[in-house]
Amino acid sequence: MAHWSDNVLLQPPGHGDKLTRTVGSAPTITMHLPGPLRPYCAGASELSISAPTVRAALEDLERTQPALYCNVCDETGKVRRHLNVFVNADNVRDLEGIDTMLKPGDVLTVLPAVSGG
Amino acid sequence: MADRVILTIGTKKGVFVADAAKPRRNFALRGPFGPGVPVYSTLVDTRGTPRIYASSCNPFFGMKILRSTDMGKTFKETKSAPAFPKDDGRALANIWSLEPGAGKKDLWCGVEPASLFRSPDGGDSWEMVPGISNHEHARKWSPGNGGLCMHTIVRDGNRVHLGISTGGHYLSEDGGETFTASNKGVGAGFAPDPYPEFGQCVHKIARHDDAPGRLYMQNHGGWAEWTGPGGPRPGIGVLRSDDYGRSWRSIASGLPSDFGFPIVVHPHDADTVYVVPLEPQTRSCPGAAPAVWRSENGGGSWNRIARGLPKKESYFTVLRDALDIDQLKSPALYMGTTTGQLWIGREGGEKWECLFDSLPPINNVKVAVV
Repeated sequence: MAHWSDNVLLQPPGHGDKLTRTVGSAPTITMHLPGPLRPYCAGASELSISAPTVRAALEDLERTQPALYCNVCDETGKVRRHLNVFVNADNVRDLEGIDTMLKPGDVLTVLPAVSGG
Repeated sequence: MADRVILTIGTKKGVFVADAAKPRRNFALRGPFGPGVPVYSTLVDTRGTPRIYASSCNPFFGMKILRSTDMGKTFKETKSAPAFPKDDGRALANIWSLEPGAGKKDLWCGVEPASLFRSPDGGDSWEMVPGISNHEHARKWSPGNGGLCMHTIVRDGNRVHLGISTGGHYLSEDGGETFTASNKGVGAGFAPDPYPEFGQCVHKIARHDDAPGRLYMQNHGGWAEWTGPGGPRPGIGVLRSDDYGRSWRSIASGLPSDFGFPIVVHPHDADTVYVVPLEPQTRSCPGAAPAVWRSENGGGSWNRIARGLPKKESYFTVLRDALDIDQLKSPALYMGTTTGQLWIGREGGEKWECLFDSLPPINNVKVAVV
Protein backbone atom coordinates (compact mmCIF):
# COMPACT_ATOMS: atom_id res chain seq x y z
CA MET A 1 0.00 0.00 0.00
CA ALA A 2 1.28 3.45 -0.88
CA HIS A 3 1.33 5.88 2.00
CA TRP A 4 0.86 9.65 1.97
CA SER A 5 1.80 11.79 4.93
CA ASP A 6 1.29 15.57 4.90
CA ASN A 7 1.05 15.42 1.12
CA VAL A 8 4.35 13.55 0.77
CA LEU A 9 4.12 10.32 -1.16
CA LEU A 10 6.26 7.79 0.70
CA GLN A 11 5.74 4.91 -1.67
CA PRO A 12 4.43 5.02 -5.24
CA PRO A 13 1.10 3.24 -5.59
CA GLY A 14 0.50 0.28 -7.82
CA HIS A 15 -2.65 -0.17 -9.85
CA GLY A 16 -5.64 -0.77 -7.61
CA ASP A 17 -3.77 0.17 -4.43
CA LYS A 18 -5.07 2.34 -1.65
CA LEU A 19 -3.60 5.77 -1.01
CA THR A 20 -3.47 6.81 2.62
CA ARG A 21 -3.15 10.33 3.98
CA THR A 22 -3.34 11.38 7.60
CA VAL A 23 -4.12 14.98 8.51
CA GLY A 24 -4.70 16.18 12.08
CA SER A 25 -7.31 14.47 14.29
CA ALA A 26 -10.27 14.42 11.89
CA PRO A 27 -11.90 11.02 11.36
CA THR A 28 -10.20 8.86 8.80
CA ILE A 29 -12.54 7.61 6.11
CA THR A 30 -12.09 5.65 2.91
CA MET A 31 -13.06 7.11 -0.45
CA HIS A 32 -13.87 4.42 -2.96
CA LEU A 33 -13.36 5.33 -6.62
CA PRO A 34 -14.94 3.82 -9.75
CA GLY A 35 -12.70 2.54 -12.52
CA PRO A 36 -12.91 5.58 -14.81
CA LEU A 37 -11.50 7.82 -12.06
CA ARG A 38 -8.53 5.67 -11.12
CA PRO A 39 -6.21 6.93 -13.91
CA TYR A 40 -6.41 10.35 -12.25
CA CYS A 41 -4.96 9.07 -8.94
CA ALA A 42 -2.19 6.77 -10.08
CA GLY A 43 -4.48 3.79 -10.40
CA ALA A 44 -5.64 3.75 -6.77
CA SER A 45 -9.07 2.25 -6.14
CA GLU A 46 -9.38 3.80 -2.69
CA LEU A 47 -8.10 6.86 -0.91
CA SER A 48 -7.81 7.19 2.83
CA ILE A 49 -8.66 10.73 3.90
CA SER A 50 -9.00 12.43 7.27
CA ALA A 51 -11.88 14.88 7.10
CA PRO A 52 -14.79 15.83 9.38
CA THR A 53 -17.31 16.36 6.54
CA VAL A 54 -17.83 15.40 2.91
CA ARG A 55 -17.05 19.00 2.00
CA ALA A 56 -13.72 18.80 3.84
CA ALA A 57 -12.95 15.52 2.08
CA LEU A 58 -13.57 17.15 -1.29
CA GLU A 59 -11.43 20.15 -0.30
CA ASP A 60 -8.68 17.74 0.67
CA LEU A 61 -9.07 16.09 -2.72
CA GLU A 62 -8.76 19.47 -4.45
CA ARG A 63 -5.44 20.11 -2.67
CA THR A 64 -3.90 16.70 -2.97
CA GLN A 65 -5.44 15.16 -6.09
CA PRO A 66 -6.36 18.10 -8.36
CA ALA A 67 -6.71 15.98 -11.51
CA LEU A 68 -9.07 13.63 -9.73
CA TYR A 69 -10.96 16.50 -8.10
CA CYS A 70 -11.75 18.06 -11.52
CA ASN A 71 -13.56 14.86 -12.46
CA VAL A 72 -15.72 14.94 -9.33
CA CYS A 73 -16.47 18.66 -8.96
CA ASP A 74 -16.89 21.43 -11.54
CA GLU A 75 -15.28 24.88 -11.52
CA THR A 76 -17.91 26.21 -9.11
CA GLY A 77 -17.06 23.56 -6.54
CA LYS A 78 -20.29 21.63 -7.01
CA VAL A 79 -20.28 17.86 -7.33
CA ARG A 80 -20.86 17.17 -11.03
CA ARG A 81 -24.50 16.90 -11.93
CA HIS A 82 -24.47 13.27 -13.01
CA LEU A 83 -22.40 11.95 -10.12
CA ASN A 84 -23.71 10.66 -6.83
CA VAL A 85 -21.79 10.70 -3.57
CA PHE A 86 -22.65 8.15 -0.93
CA VAL A 87 -21.63 7.95 2.72
CA ASN A 88 -21.79 4.24 3.39
CA ALA A 89 -25.15 3.28 1.78
CA ASP A 90 -26.77 6.73 1.84
CA ASN A 91 -26.73 9.29 -0.92
CA VAL A 92 -25.57 12.59 0.61
CA ARG A 93 -28.52 14.16 -1.18
CA ASP A 94 -30.70 12.40 1.42
CA LEU A 95 -28.46 13.45 4.30
CA GLU A 96 -26.98 16.92 4.73
CA GLY A 97 -25.50 17.19 1.26
CA ILE A 98 -21.78 17.80 1.24
CA ASP A 99 -22.04 19.12 4.80
CA THR A 100 -22.76 15.58 5.98
CA MET A 101 -20.57 14.73 8.96
CA LEU A 102 -18.17 11.81 8.73
CA LYS A 103 -17.25 9.23 11.38
CA PRO A 104 -14.10 7.14 11.59
CA GLY A 105 -14.36 4.20 9.22
CA ASP A 106 -17.05 5.70 6.98
CA VAL A 107 -16.86 4.79 3.31
CA LEU A 108 -17.35 7.61 0.81
CA THR A 109 -18.25 6.35 -2.66
CA VAL A 110 -18.40 8.39 -5.88
CA LEU A 111 -20.55 6.78 -8.57
CA PRO A 112 -21.90 7.91 -11.94
CA ALA A 113 -25.68 8.19 -12.04
CA VAL A 114 -27.43 5.36 -13.82
CA SER A 115 -27.75 5.96 -17.54
CA GLY A 116 -28.72 4.17 -20.69
CA GLY A 117 -28.82 4.61 -24.44
CA MET B 1 5.05 10.15 -47.07
CA ALA B 2 2.43 10.13 -49.80
CA ASP B 3 -0.52 12.43 -49.24
CA ARG B 4 -3.25 10.83 -47.21
CA VAL B 5 -6.79 11.93 -46.61
CA ILE B 6 -7.57 11.94 -42.89
CA LEU B 7 -11.12 11.99 -41.59
CA THR B 8 -12.03 12.59 -37.99
CA ILE B 9 -15.51 11.49 -37.01
CA GLY B 10 -16.87 12.74 -33.69
CA THR B 11 -19.73 10.55 -32.53
CA LYS B 12 -21.99 9.97 -29.58
CA LYS B 13 -19.66 7.18 -28.48
CA GLY B 14 -16.16 8.54 -29.08
CA VAL B 15 -14.01 9.72 -31.95
CA PHE B 16 -13.09 7.60 -34.97
CA VAL B 17 -10.31 8.27 -37.47
CA ALA B 18 -10.40 7.04 -41.05
CA ASP B 19 -7.67 7.47 -43.62
CA ALA B 20 -7.08 6.67 -47.24
CA ALA B 21 -4.52 7.27 -49.95
CA LYS B 22 -5.26 10.22 -52.23
CA PRO B 23 -7.56 8.38 -54.67
CA ARG B 24 -9.85 7.86 -51.64
CA ARG B 25 -10.84 4.35 -52.76
CA ASN B 26 -10.60 2.59 -49.40
CA PHE B 27 -10.79 4.23 -46.00
CA ALA B 28 -9.43 2.35 -43.00
CA LEU B 29 -11.30 3.05 -39.76
CA ARG B 30 -9.74 3.24 -36.29
CA GLY B 31 -11.41 3.83 -32.95
CA PRO B 32 -13.43 4.65 -31.05
CA PHE B 33 -11.03 6.70 -28.96
CA GLY B 34 -12.45 8.10 -25.74
CA PRO B 35 -14.95 5.25 -26.09
CA GLY B 36 -18.49 5.82 -24.94
CA VAL B 37 -18.08 9.56 -24.53
CA PRO B 38 -19.68 12.08 -26.93
CA VAL B 39 -17.35 14.09 -29.17
CA TYR B 40 -18.73 17.33 -30.58
CA SER B 41 -15.59 18.84 -32.04
CA THR B 42 -12.49 17.61 -33.83
CA LEU B 43 -9.59 19.31 -35.54
CA VAL B 44 -6.90 17.98 -37.87
CA ASP B 45 -4.18 20.54 -37.25
CA THR B 46 -1.83 20.50 -40.23
CA ARG B 47 0.56 23.19 -38.96
CA GLY B 48 3.98 21.61 -38.48
CA THR B 49 3.79 18.01 -37.37
CA PRO B 50 0.13 17.12 -37.86
CA ARG B 51 -1.93 16.67 -34.74
CA ILE B 52 -5.51 15.63 -34.21
CA TYR B 53 -7.63 17.10 -31.43
CA ALA B 54 -11.03 15.97 -30.19
CA SER B 55 -13.29 17.22 -27.45
CA SER B 56 -14.38 14.41 -25.15
CA CYS B 57 -17.55 15.65 -23.50
CA ASN B 58 -18.15 13.36 -20.57
CA PRO B 59 -21.48 14.10 -18.89
CA PHE B 60 -20.30 12.36 -15.72
CA PHE B 61 -16.70 13.40 -15.25
CA GLY B 62 -16.44 16.63 -17.22
CA MET B 63 -14.79 17.87 -20.38
CA LYS B 64 -11.45 16.71 -21.75
CA ILE B 65 -9.38 17.52 -24.82
CA LEU B 66 -7.83 14.50 -26.54
CA ARG B 67 -4.72 14.89 -28.68
CA SER B 68 -3.05 12.53 -31.11
CA THR B 69 0.46 13.06 -32.43
CA ASP B 70 0.53 9.90 -34.55
CA MET B 71 -2.30 10.67 -36.96
CA GLY B 72 -5.01 9.07 -34.92
CA LYS B 73 -3.41 5.80 -33.93
CA THR B 74 -3.47 6.80 -30.25
CA PHE B 75 -4.94 9.69 -28.25
CA LYS B 76 -4.03 11.12 -24.86
CA GLU B 77 -5.70 13.76 -22.75
CA THR B 78 -3.99 17.14 -22.79
CA LYS B 79 -2.76 18.41 -19.43
CA SER B 80 -5.88 20.47 -18.92
CA ALA B 81 -9.19 21.41 -20.50
CA PRO B 82 -10.82 24.83 -20.65
CA ALA B 83 -12.32 25.83 -17.31
CA PHE B 84 -13.98 28.99 -16.08
CA PRO B 85 -12.22 30.95 -13.35
CA LYS B 86 -13.30 29.68 -9.96
CA ASP B 87 -15.17 32.86 -9.02
CA ASP B 88 -16.94 33.15 -12.40
CA GLY B 89 -19.97 31.09 -11.41
CA ARG B 90 -20.22 29.27 -14.74
CA ALA B 91 -19.20 25.65 -15.26
CA LEU B 92 -18.15 24.11 -18.55
CA ALA B 93 -20.96 21.99 -19.99
CA ASN B 94 -19.62 21.11 -23.43
CA ILE B 95 -16.86 21.80 -25.96
CA TRP B 96 -18.24 22.73 -29.36
CA SER B 97 -15.39 24.00 -31.50
CA LEU B 98 -11.64 23.67 -31.85
CA GLU B 99 -9.78 25.84 -34.35
CA PRO B 100 -6.13 26.70 -34.98
CA GLY B 101 -4.96 30.11 -33.82
CA ALA B 102 -2.25 32.37 -35.21
CA GLY B 103 0.77 30.83 -33.51
CA LYS B 104 2.06 27.38 -34.32
CA LYS B 105 0.56 25.83 -31.20
CA ASP B 106 -2.26 28.30 -30.58
CA LEU B 107 -5.71 26.78 -30.32
CA TRP B 108 -9.10 28.42 -29.96
CA CYS B 109 -11.97 26.65 -28.33
CA GLY B 110 -15.68 27.52 -28.19
CA VAL B 111 -17.66 26.05 -25.35
CA GLU B 112 -21.03 25.80 -23.64
CA PRO B 113 -22.11 28.02 -21.91
CA ALA B 114 -21.08 30.21 -24.83
CA SER B 115 -17.53 31.38 -24.16
CA LEU B 116 -14.18 31.38 -25.88
CA PHE B 117 -10.87 29.96 -24.64
CA ARG B 118 -7.35 30.07 -26.07
CA SER B 119 -4.41 27.77 -25.58
CA PRO B 120 -0.83 28.82 -26.41
CA ASP B 121 0.61 25.32 -26.12
CA GLY B 122 -1.47 22.88 -28.12
CA GLY B 123 -4.15 22.38 -25.51
CA ASP B 124 -2.13 21.87 -22.34
CA SER B 125 -3.20 25.15 -20.76
CA TRP B 126 -6.17 27.42 -21.43
CA GLU B 127 -7.25 30.97 -20.74
CA MET B 128 -10.73 32.40 -21.09
CA VAL B 129 -11.07 35.22 -23.66
CA PRO B 130 -12.87 37.93 -21.69
CA GLY B 131 -13.79 40.13 -24.68
CA ILE B 132 -16.56 37.73 -25.64
CA SER B 133 -16.92 35.47 -22.60
CA ASN B 134 -17.62 38.47 -20.37
CA HIS B 135 -19.30 40.54 -23.09
CA GLU B 136 -22.15 42.67 -21.79
CA HIS B 137 -24.55 40.45 -23.77
CA ALA B 138 -23.14 37.15 -22.49
CA ARG B 139 -25.50 36.75 -19.56
CA LYS B 140 -28.47 37.61 -21.80
CA TRP B 141 -27.89 34.86 -24.36
CA SER B 142 -30.15 31.86 -23.96
CA PRO B 143 -29.73 28.22 -24.91
CA GLY B 144 -31.20 26.64 -28.01
CA ASN B 145 -32.05 22.97 -28.30
CA GLY B 146 -28.35 22.07 -28.34
CA GLY B 147 -27.50 24.22 -25.34
CA LEU B 148 -25.96 27.70 -25.24
CA CYS B 149 -23.04 26.94 -27.47
CA MET B 150 -20.24 28.79 -29.22
CA HIS B 151 -19.93 26.44 -32.14
CA THR B 152 -18.20 28.47 -34.84
CA ILE B 153 -14.85 30.27 -34.83
CA VAL B 154 -13.79 31.72 -38.19
CA ARG B 155 -10.46 33.52 -38.22
CA ASP B 156 -9.45 35.92 -40.99
CA GLY B 157 -6.29 37.75 -39.97
CA ASN B 158 -7.22 40.09 -37.17
CA ARG B 159 -10.91 39.49 -37.80
CA VAL B 160 -12.61 36.79 -35.78
CA HIS B 161 -16.18 35.71 -36.45
CA LEU B 162 -18.03 33.76 -33.80
CA GLY B 163 -21.31 31.89 -34.16
CA ILE B 164 -23.37 31.44 -31.02
CA SER B 165 -26.62 29.57 -30.61
CA THR B 166 -28.50 31.47 -29.45
CA GLY B 167 -26.48 34.64 -29.34
CA GLY B 168 -25.91 35.44 -33.00
CA HIS B 169 -22.81 36.51 -34.92
CA TYR B 170 -20.08 38.45 -33.14
CA LEU B 171 -17.19 40.14 -34.91
CA SER B 172 -13.79 41.13 -33.61
CA GLU B 173 -11.48 43.29 -35.68
CA ASP B 174 -8.65 43.39 -33.16
CA GLY B 175 -7.63 39.75 -33.03
CA GLY B 176 -10.18 38.72 -30.42
CA GLU B 177 -9.70 41.44 -27.82
CA THR B 178 -13.12 43.02 -28.29
CA PHE B 179 -16.28 41.84 -30.02
CA THR B 180 -19.38 43.49 -31.44
CA ALA B 181 -22.74 41.88 -32.18
CA SER B 182 -22.97 42.03 -35.96
CA ASN B 183 -26.37 40.75 -37.01
CA LYS B 184 -27.87 43.32 -39.37
CA GLY B 185 -30.12 41.29 -41.64
CA VAL B 186 -29.87 38.12 -39.55
CA GLY B 187 -33.42 37.18 -38.62
CA ALA B 188 -34.77 35.46 -35.55
CA GLY B 189 -37.99 33.50 -35.74
CA PHE B 190 -38.48 32.83 -32.08
CA ALA B 191 -38.80 36.42 -30.86
CA PRO B 192 -41.37 39.12 -31.57
CA ASP B 193 -38.65 41.37 -33.03
CA PRO B 194 -37.64 39.68 -36.29
CA TYR B 195 -34.26 41.44 -36.42
CA PRO B 196 -32.91 41.89 -32.87
CA GLU B 197 -29.44 43.26 -32.16
CA PHE B 198 -28.36 39.85 -30.87
CA GLY B 199 -29.86 36.55 -29.79
CA GLN B 200 -30.18 34.90 -33.20
CA CYS B 201 -29.76 31.16 -33.51
CA VAL B 202 -26.83 31.03 -35.91
CA HIS B 203 -26.08 27.47 -37.00
CA LYS B 204 -22.82 27.78 -38.95
CA ILE B 205 -20.66 30.36 -40.76
CA ALA B 206 -18.15 29.75 -43.58
CA ARG B 207 -15.77 31.83 -45.71
CA HIS B 208 -13.13 31.49 -48.41
CA ASP B 209 -9.73 33.20 -48.64
CA ASP B 210 -10.35 34.16 -52.29
CA ALA B 211 -13.39 36.27 -51.44
CA PRO B 212 -12.35 38.77 -48.78
CA GLY B 213 -15.29 40.13 -46.89
CA ARG B 214 -17.71 37.46 -48.05
CA LEU B 215 -19.27 35.11 -45.54
CA TYR B 216 -22.00 32.51 -45.80
CA MET B 217 -24.30 31.68 -42.89
CA GLN B 218 -26.76 28.90 -42.14
CA ASN B 219 -29.12 30.49 -39.67
CA HIS B 220 -32.16 29.01 -37.94
CA GLY B 221 -34.77 29.29 -40.67
CA GLY B 222 -38.19 27.79 -41.13
CA TRP B 223 -40.26 30.86 -40.21
CA ALA B 224 -41.90 31.71 -43.51
CA GLU B 225 -45.34 30.71 -42.24
CA TRP B 226 -45.22 32.61 -38.95
CA THR B 227 -48.25 34.84 -38.50
CA GLY B 228 -47.66 36.13 -34.98
CA PRO B 229 -46.07 39.40 -33.84
CA GLY B 230 -43.45 40.63 -36.26
CA GLY B 231 -44.98 38.72 -39.18
CA PRO B 232 -43.52 36.01 -41.42
CA ARG B 233 -39.77 35.76 -41.88
CA PRO B 234 -39.13 33.95 -45.15
CA GLY B 235 -35.61 33.15 -46.20
CA ILE B 236 -33.81 34.11 -43.00
CA GLY B 237 -32.10 30.73 -42.84
CA VAL B 238 -29.44 30.99 -45.54
CA LEU B 239 -27.55 34.27 -45.71
CA ARG B 240 -24.57 35.97 -47.24
CA SER B 241 -22.46 38.97 -46.22
CA ASP B 242 -20.20 40.95 -48.50
CA ASP B 243 -18.90 43.39 -45.92
CA TYR B 244 -17.04 41.18 -43.44
CA GLY B 245 -20.20 40.24 -41.61
CA ARG B 246 -21.47 43.72 -40.83
CA SER B 247 -24.67 43.11 -42.78
CA TRP B 248 -26.33 40.04 -44.24
CA ARG B 249 -28.88 39.26 -46.98
CA SER B 250 -30.89 36.16 -47.80
CA ILE B 251 -29.68 33.76 -50.48
CA ALA B 252 -32.32 31.14 -49.67
CA SER B 253 -34.41 31.59 -52.80
CA GLY B 254 -34.58 28.31 -54.73
CA LEU B 255 -33.99 26.04 -51.74
CA PRO B 256 -36.73 23.65 -50.62
CA SER B 257 -36.26 24.79 -47.03
CA ASP B 258 -34.15 27.49 -45.43
CA PHE B 259 -33.68 25.38 -42.30
CA GLY B 260 -30.49 23.37 -41.91
CA PHE B 261 -27.29 23.15 -39.95
CA PRO B 262 -24.02 22.98 -41.94
CA ILE B 263 -22.76 25.31 -44.66
CA VAL B 264 -19.53 24.58 -46.54
CA VAL B 265 -17.58 26.42 -49.25
CA HIS B 266 -15.76 24.70 -52.11
CA PRO B 267 -11.99 24.80 -51.50
CA HIS B 268 -11.16 26.20 -54.97
CA ASP B 269 -14.20 28.32 -55.78
CA ALA B 270 -15.57 30.91 -53.38
CA ASP B 271 -18.82 31.04 -55.37
CA THR B 272 -19.62 27.38 -54.77
CA VAL B 273 -21.37 26.70 -51.50
CA TYR B 274 -23.19 23.68 -50.09
CA VAL B 275 -26.09 23.33 -47.64
CA VAL B 276 -28.31 20.47 -46.47
CA PRO B 277 -31.90 21.78 -46.31
CA LEU B 278 -34.05 20.12 -43.66
CA GLU B 279 -37.69 20.27 -42.77
CA PRO B 280 -37.83 22.31 -39.59
CA GLN B 281 -40.26 19.97 -37.84
CA THR B 282 -38.60 16.62 -38.50
CA ARG B 283 -35.09 17.96 -39.10
CA SER B 284 -34.78 15.51 -41.95
CA CYS B 285 -34.51 16.21 -45.67
CA PRO B 286 -37.73 17.20 -47.50
CA GLY B 287 -39.74 14.15 -48.57
CA ALA B 288 -37.39 11.95 -46.49
CA ALA B 289 -35.13 11.97 -49.57
CA PRO B 290 -31.68 13.19 -48.52
CA ALA B 291 -29.92 15.73 -50.71
CA VAL B 292 -27.18 18.29 -50.59
CA TRP B 293 -27.90 21.52 -52.41
CA ARG B 294 -25.17 23.40 -54.23
CA SER B 295 -24.95 26.93 -55.50
CA GLU B 296 -22.23 27.77 -58.01
CA ASN B 297 -22.97 31.48 -58.09
CA GLY B 298 -22.66 32.53 -54.48
CA GLY B 299 -26.22 31.71 -53.55
CA GLY B 300 -27.92 33.18 -56.65
CA SER B 301 -29.43 29.82 -57.52
CA TRP B 302 -29.30 26.27 -56.17
CA ASN B 303 -29.16 22.74 -57.54
CA ARG B 304 -30.03 19.48 -55.82
CA ILE B 305 -27.23 16.91 -55.83
CA ALA B 306 -28.26 13.50 -54.55
CA ARG B 307 -26.97 10.81 -56.93
CA GLY B 308 -26.29 7.74 -54.79
CA LEU B 309 -28.10 8.98 -51.70
CA PRO B 310 -31.27 7.19 -50.54
CA LYS B 311 -34.34 8.23 -52.52
CA LYS B 312 -36.90 7.75 -49.75
CA GLU B 313 -37.64 6.80 -46.13
CA SER B 314 -34.55 8.47 -44.67
CA TYR B 315 -35.10 10.59 -41.61
CA PHE B 316 -31.61 11.41 -40.43
CA THR B 317 -30.32 14.84 -39.55
CA VAL B 318 -26.99 16.26 -40.67
CA LEU B 319 -25.70 18.32 -37.77
CA ARG B 320 -23.81 21.62 -37.99
CA ASP B 321 -20.30 20.14 -38.05
CA ALA B 322 -21.13 16.95 -39.90
CA LEU B 323 -20.36 18.20 -43.44
CA ASP B 324 -16.87 18.97 -44.73
CA ILE B 325 -14.96 19.02 -48.00
CA ASP B 326 -11.38 18.04 -48.72
CA GLN B 327 -8.76 20.15 -50.51
CA LEU B 328 -7.92 17.85 -53.43
CA LYS B 329 -8.18 19.02 -57.05
CA SER B 330 -11.53 17.31 -57.48
CA PRO B 331 -12.71 17.62 -53.90
CA ALA B 332 -15.00 15.21 -52.11
CA LEU B 333 -17.65 16.13 -49.55
CA TYR B 334 -18.03 14.07 -46.38
CA MET B 335 -21.38 13.94 -44.65
CA GLY B 336 -22.14 12.27 -41.31
CA THR B 337 -25.66 11.49 -40.18
CA THR B 338 -27.41 11.11 -36.87
CA THR B 339 -28.12 7.52 -37.90
CA GLY B 340 -24.40 6.76 -38.02
CA GLN B 341 -23.71 6.77 -41.74
CA LEU B 342 -20.69 8.47 -43.25
CA TRP B 343 -21.17 9.43 -46.89
CA ILE B 344 -18.58 10.59 -49.40
CA GLY B 345 -19.71 12.86 -52.23
CA ARG B 346 -17.09 12.46 -54.93
CA GLU B 347 -16.47 15.10 -57.64
CA GLY B 348 -17.75 17.91 -55.50
CA GLY B 349 -20.84 16.01 -54.46
CA GLU B 350 -21.83 14.60 -57.87
CA LYS B 351 -21.62 10.95 -56.79
CA TRP B 352 -22.46 9.81 -53.28
CA GLU B 353 -21.35 6.58 -51.68
CA CYS B 354 -21.67 5.31 -48.11
CA LEU B 355 -18.24 4.73 -46.56
CA PHE B 356 -19.45 3.44 -43.17
CA ASP B 357 -23.06 2.60 -42.45
CA SER B 358 -23.27 1.66 -38.78
CA LEU B 359 -21.28 4.12 -36.73
CA PRO B 360 -22.77 5.76 -33.65
CA PRO B 361 -24.76 8.96 -34.28
CA ILE B 362 -22.33 11.42 -35.88
CA ASN B 363 -21.87 14.93 -34.49
CA ASN B 364 -18.81 16.02 -36.37
CA VAL B 365 -16.79 15.25 -39.51
CA LYS B 366 -13.53 16.99 -40.42
CA VAL B 367 -11.15 16.22 -43.25
CA ALA B 368 -7.58 17.16 -44.08
CA VAL B 369 -4.99 16.08 -46.60
CA VAL B 370 -1.65 15.49 -44.90
